[in-house]
Amino acid sequence: MRVSRHSSDGLGQKSLAPPAQTPKGWVSSAFRILRRRSASIGIAVGLTMFLSWTVLPIVYLGVLSVKPERLLLDRPSLNFRPSLERYGQLLQWDKLGAPVKNSLISASLGTAGAVLLGSMAAIAFTLLDFRAKGPLFFTIVLTRMYPPMTTVIPVYLMLRRLELLDTLTALVIVFAALQIPLVLWVMHTALNAIPRDIIESAVLDGASLPVVVRKVLLPLSGPGLVTAAILSFIFCWNDFLLPLVITSSAARTGTVAIMAYTETYRNVLWGPLSTVSIAMVAPTIVFMLALRTYLVKGLTAGMLKG
Amino acid sequence: MGKLFGRQQLFLGVFLVPGVAYVLVWRLLPALYTVYLSFMSYNLAFDPGPTWVGIRNYLQLVRDDNLLASLGVTLKFSVLATFVELVLGLGTAILLDRDLPLRNLIMGLCLVPMVLAPVAVATIWYVLLHDFVGPIPHLIRLIHGPEIAWFTTSWTALLSIIVADVWEWTPLMTLLLLAALQGVSRETVEAAMVDGASGLQVFRFVTLPQITGMIAVAVGLRFMDAFLELDKVLIMTGGGPGTSTELVSVHIYRTAFQFFTLGYAATIVIAFLVLLAVIYRFYLRALPGYAFSASERMSGAGG
Repeated sequence: MRVSRHSSDGLGQKSLAPPAQTPKGWVSSAFRILRRRSASIGIAVGLTMFLSWTVLPIVYLGVLSVKPERLLLDRPSLNFRPSLERYGQLLQWDKLGAPVKNSLISASLGTAGAVLLGSMAAIAFTLLDFRAKGPLFFTIVLTRMYPPMTTVIPVYLMLRRLELLDTLTALVIVFAALQIPLVLWVMHTALNAIPRDIIESAVLDGASLPVVVRKVLLPLSGPGLVTAAILSFIFCWNDFLLPLVITSSAARTGTVAIMAYTETYRNVLWGPLSTVSIAMVAPTIVFMLALRTYLVKGLTAGMLKG
Repeated sequence: MGKLFGRQQLFLGVFLVPGVAYVLVWRLLPALYTVYLSFMSYNLAFDPGPTWVGIRNYLQLVRDDNLLASLGVTLKFSVLATFVELVLGLGTAILLDRDLPLRNLIMGLCLVPMVLAPVAVATIWYVLLHDFVGPIPHLIRLIHGPEIAWFTTSWTALLSIIVADVWEWTPLMTLLLLAALQGVSRETVEAAMVDGASGLQVFRFVTLPQITGMIAVAVGLRFMDAFLELDKVLIMTGGGPGTSTELVSVHIYRTAFQFFTLGYAATIVIAFLVLLAVIYRFYLRALPGYAFSASERMSGAGG
């Protein structure tokens, strides 16, 4: 709006006296500068508020996690010597580290399984011909659209029958099942982006499917694989409902442990709660800051479907 | 494309079958079994197995006052959370839609909440609002404000969960709306300015119509997701005080895994999903045509 006034002033200069020399023009240009400055101050203030709103809550949790045990309930003061005692316990797998270790193992293996099976299926959907291809693809992707709530009861009963409740195996099984459709979707897109000509000329040179996979598809779908793997790891790592239902003590994940620490309002275990929570958010924060461009597209796609 | 490779059957067996079979066994069949179970009476604690009761569970739904109450709370939660997220998301998107120093870092930081475990988000706000350790009750005390026990009165308990949800998901709104704002054609904005429209008028009559599609998509997305909220409630309030924050997901979880009435829990799941699908259907139909192209653009860009 200001810009438009300015340009019309500019047009007027040709016929009338230059506005910069009249007192009126001087006032209005000063006003304009003032306005522009206050606008950029407004933007700076807004951004600072948005960033503080986002960052400070996480920082406060971090502060709580290094507060010495006896000061935890001592008013939210910041006057203390940080203690890393609980982070030491986090590195001991039989103490605070146990649930975090369970999360790490199950999310990694679940992701590995999903990436392997999902990518192979994506190769089949991209390069092979078979009946009912479209409906089958839709069906698989559909299973990601309904929430985990839909299958949690039967999955619980199946795992109970298999005597796998409260084991890491059970977690790996359900995590992989949940993420295969996501991997299939991401990898299908990535593989479709590889020019046909490259694949066809490899085939003309006598390459069989395994050779094409190794020599052409793998080297060219790196970013897709990274996106699929990291997204699926984040979803497994953050999952709560399924671990809550199928694990109880030995195999409970970090997210389930967090719930256990908060169970009683009066006797919340603030130390373990804050430390394990920080351990559970640290990897995803690192992923987000380091690999944002990879993640954002995949995340929004994953959510639009999920 | 014709058959590119020989030995199709073998390769289909190796590449396609394992993944597809796996998903069918652990995702598709269980979903169908949930439908089956919804016609059964099955209490895990007493019954040796499920027994057929026809539509009795479904008839019980409409007389289940607890369920209807939790549906009301869920609706209140989803509408409020989505609305606040839209307003804040739009504001921040407008704020970020310009050349900024350190733009990448700022964007990265702003988006962090949405990748955190929902349980951790709940912990963060549980800590911030808890009257033993939280800075917020402390600050309110410092300025001699009212003593608020956030998790022990109904409406503040719900408010706490909404705040946590807003904190977690406003970044998604920001992200989607920023993408839409950057797609707004510069020429139309400049043309309106030349015609002497004020900043507000430009936004209202030029920018807004061009991002309505994305707003509709984003709102639909968030609303559906908020409807399924579970994690934050279990951490922050456990559904209480009383059942005042017991969202439908929490109600289902309790019915299934605290009272072990699996058959009826399955019925609620199915009815709830059908309700959600119907809402979504009507929502899509109510949208103007251009919303669809926006949603297609998004899924195209994302995939």
